[in-house]
Amino acid sequence: MKETPLSNCERRFLLRAIEEKKRLDGRQTYDYRNIKISFGTDYGCCIVELGKTRVLGQVSCELVSPKLNRATEGILFFNLELSQMAAPAFEPGRQSDLLVKLNRLLERCLRNSKCIDTESLCVVAGEKVWQIRVDLHLLNHDGNIIDAASIAAIVALCHFRRPDVSVQGDEVTLYTPEERDPVPLSIHHMPICVSFAFFRQGTYLLVDPNEREERVMDGLLVIAVNKHREICTIQSSGGIMLLKDQVLRCSKIAGVKVAEITELIQKALENDQKVRKEGGKFGFAESIANQRITAFKMEKAPIDTSDIEEKAEEIIAEAEPPPEVVSKPVLWTAGTAQIGEGVENSWGDIEDSEKEDEDEGGSDEAIILDSMKMDTGVEVSGTGSQDAPIVLSDSEEEEMIILEPDKNPKKIRTQTISAKTEKIPSKKQLKKRKKKRAAMLKLT
Amino acid sequence: MAEVVSVMTESPAGGRARAARTVLGQVVLPGEELLLPEQEDEGGPGSAGERPLRLNAEARSQVRVVCGPGLRRCGDRLLVTKCGRLRHKEPGSGGGVYWVDSQQKRYVPVKGDHVIGIVTAKSGDIFKVDVGGSEPASLSYLAFEGATKRNRPNVQVGDLIYGQFVVANKDMEPEMVCIDSCGRANGMGVIGQDGLLFKVTLGLIRKLLAPDCEIIQEVGKLYPLEIVFGMNGRVWVKAKTIQQTLILANILEACEHMTADQRKQIFSRLAES
Amino acid sequence: MACTQAQLVSGSANPGRTRSVGLWGHTVYTDANMRAEPGIESSPRGPGCSLRHFACEQNLLSRPDGSASFLQGDTSVLAGVYGPAEVKVSKEIFNKATLEVILRPKIGLPGVAEKSRERLIRNTCEAVVLGALHPRTSITVVLQVISDAGSLLACCLNAACMALVDTGVPMRALFCGVTCALDSDGTLVLDPTAKQEKEARAVLTFALDSVEQKLLMSTTKGLYSNAELQQCLAAAQAASQHVFRFYRESLQRRYSKS
Repeated sequence: MKETPLSNCERRFLLRAIEEKKRLDGRQTYDYRNIKISFGTDYGCCIVELGKTRVLGQVSCELVSPKLNRATEGILFFNLELSQMAAPAFEPGRQSDLLVKLNRLLERCLRNSKCIDTESLCVVAGEKVWQIRVDLHLLNHDGNIIDAASIAAIVALCHFRRPDVSVQGDEVTLYTPEERDPVPLSIHHMPICVSFAFFRQGTYLLVDPNEREERVMDGLLVIAVNKHREICTIQSSGGIMLLKDQVLRCSKIAGVKVAEITELIQKALENDQKVRKEGGKFGFAESIANQRITAFKMEKAPIDTSDIEEKAEEIIAEAEPPPEVVSKPVLWTAGTAQIGEGVENSWGDIEDSEKEDEDEGGSDEAIILDSMKMDTGVEVSGTGSQDAPIVLSDSEEEEMIILEPDKNPKKIRTQTISAKTEKIPSKKQLKKRKKKRAAMLKLT
Repeated sequence: MAEVVSVMTESPAGGRARAARTVLGQVVLPGEELLLPEQEDEGGPGSAGERPLRLNAEARSQVRVVCGPGLRRCGDRLLVTKCGRLRHKEPGSGGGVYWVDSQQKRYVPVKGDHVIGIVTAKSGDIFKVDVGGSEPASLSYLAFEGATKRNRPNVQVGDLIYGQFVVANKDMEPEMVCIDSCGRANGMGVIGQDGLLFKVTLGLIRKLLAPDCEIIQEVGKLYPLEIVFGMNGRVWVKAKTIQQTLILANILEACEHMTADQRKQIFSRLAES
Repeated sequence: MACTQAQLVSGSANPGRTRSVGLWGHTVYTDANMRAEPGIESSPRGPGCSLRHFACEQNLLSRPDGSASFLQGDTSVLAGVYGPAEVKVSKEIFNKATLEVILRPKIGLPGVAEKSRERLIRNTCEAVVLGALHPRTSITVVLQVISDAGSLLACCLNAACMALVDTGVPMRALFCGVTCALDSDGTLVLDPTAKQEKEARAVLTFALDSVEQKLLMSTTKGLYSNAELQQCLAAAQAASQHVFRFYRESLQRRYSKS
């Protein structure tokens, strides 16, 4: 799907507003949007909301053999996905330039800055190390994906607990969470990306641009900093010329912003830890705001299932017994065998047998069957007149019909099962005759 | 039949086949069936299912009901297909119009609707205009006031257009014009280069365009302003300054989630400041 | 009631009607024949049957035309819907809307399991969405698993339904998903957790419509008898009433200010 185009009027207004130091959502130049962090019930699962931008982060781990040149180091793997849910223009399964750029930036921010102690992820040198995988899903795109994703990644990593292992000789024991408490990763520092959008060839700058601001910006500077004000990565894109002073000023702002965000993250993590320890309620259900009218909760509801057995019995009693199962193999000709009713060759004769089903019943069931068909709308068939007599002749035309491919082979089974009421011997004979003919056809 | 009815009444979710009149203004859900007044009068819900719908059978029960958005005819009843509040408008005669007032974001072109579009392409004699529907609408360059083959309107890609649908149905490409039947612009045409465009839900637009909408009157008291509402959920607003325009846009966006009392409070607070 | 039940039998015994159930159409009966035990597993079903707590939030994403997050216990799915929107020419259908369902796992890339679920959900949606009203358009449902703690498919179905309602896609009925698990001694568990699903002998998921609680889709795993299948269906129908009541209450709350 295409993105809604940006009109000239919006572009002009946005730029004029920026010149007047005004932003659409009432923020100041250096303000971040509200950041909300919520945790799932699993370890290493979080949702970060940066204004309306939302990112889901999940960390998982597995024991793998290490890379040959780094025998004592665990492996870190990052994967950011831009789902179509986030914006209509994101197409599933396509590696867009934006996606590649964002993934690369995340790797540089989190892996190359050595914020995770990869050596502590080694179990047996050269044989078994932990591979830590960070999956990030963009759920809603309202600008500044990279900041939200980097916060989600580091929060998820901090929240994650891996199973404890012990090594005795050659034996590696993996403990379940019940046996031993899972252990957190050792994290040296928390790098967080801060984005600066530049307008009018770098004359104006905004922190944390939203989607509309991103669409009119000239260039973007992303600086990853930790709370010790160490720069972990820096990237300028969009082809604007920045002065040394500007970059320095940005890095200072980034330091301040990251200190604030880090504090928020730590508070959120502590809070979650506390709730878990005290055995309170946690998880996403708790983070849904109750006062919103779009949200609704229902407590555990008991379901009265006392009468289901009777109902089931009633239905079974009403239903016709299933057809006898022919357990002896039938040999039609040399080299062929058939067990049970099986699936007969139904090329072309489906329509007929369906009609038979509906005709022979005259019972409620057949009628209801029909209505089911209409209701579910999954299949619409039986277009021919229902009362058409079934004529089986040995003429050539009949054989021609057999060669018509069936639209849906599943109907065959429909017929064998729903035709459980068929006890009319003549019908069976008919079937057999058909089968024989089909078999003969194959031979010839 | 009686048995079926008992099933209906005991089903709390379905709550099937209630009389349309009794649920006016209430929330209806897809799959619900509504009985028309005629059927209530004659036999109640129990026997309603047995009679076919006789639109013009007798003088007494001559009911001509129009199914608005979110409703479909289903035999002799109305089938709800969208979630929202059931509304009804009584014209001079007949059963009037029933429709479901829902809060959706996606616009589906309807003939006669006034919308704000963004020009996405110029190709030959027509402009392609994005209106937020499933396909771009076409707009002839002759469909502007005073436009002739020689005197082409000045429309650029990215411009905002306020126009009206003359062709809009599910099987055809929608077509817009910027003139009324007399060839007058009547307020339609290219919207100025200033001002702000933003999106709200379609439900809010309908609320704002209602003849007696107090929001618009209140907003008008705050600042002098120019405002255009498109039925496709787009609003263009322009006030004297950027600041005022931003305030107006934010108020209108916020109106969506406020009750009438909350809105009054906000407006009185703004009027003071 | 008897009349609706009879429909269910014919519905459930007809895999062709629900397309996706081809799997067990045959097994049900052979299974029932082989284990010709008298009085099949009439184990006590007391108050143990309950649904976990439910929560739903609608319209929480700004970009899609409609969205909903649905929580059943600790299982959580987020759904976003676009539609009726533009469609690729290659996917265009001249007389109805192209319905697409995308299911995204939380960890890793989508695999066969996701594709199979996508199909089940798509077929269920197709049965209730009135696509003929918007020909040559696309209706895209994107589902993101937020956490899986059992009954995931049912939760996906519920999230998809609420998101479709939020979008305003015309539908002939609502639908809901209910999962039942049968453990080794035949006890029926509704809305099972991941642990209960793991220990279960059979796990059955049904999609039911809101008008007559008819079966729209069913998928099962494991061994069960004919009687058990019917019991599960009956239980799912009872549970669906609660789910639909939950839908109604949350939608009434949503429209309480308009």
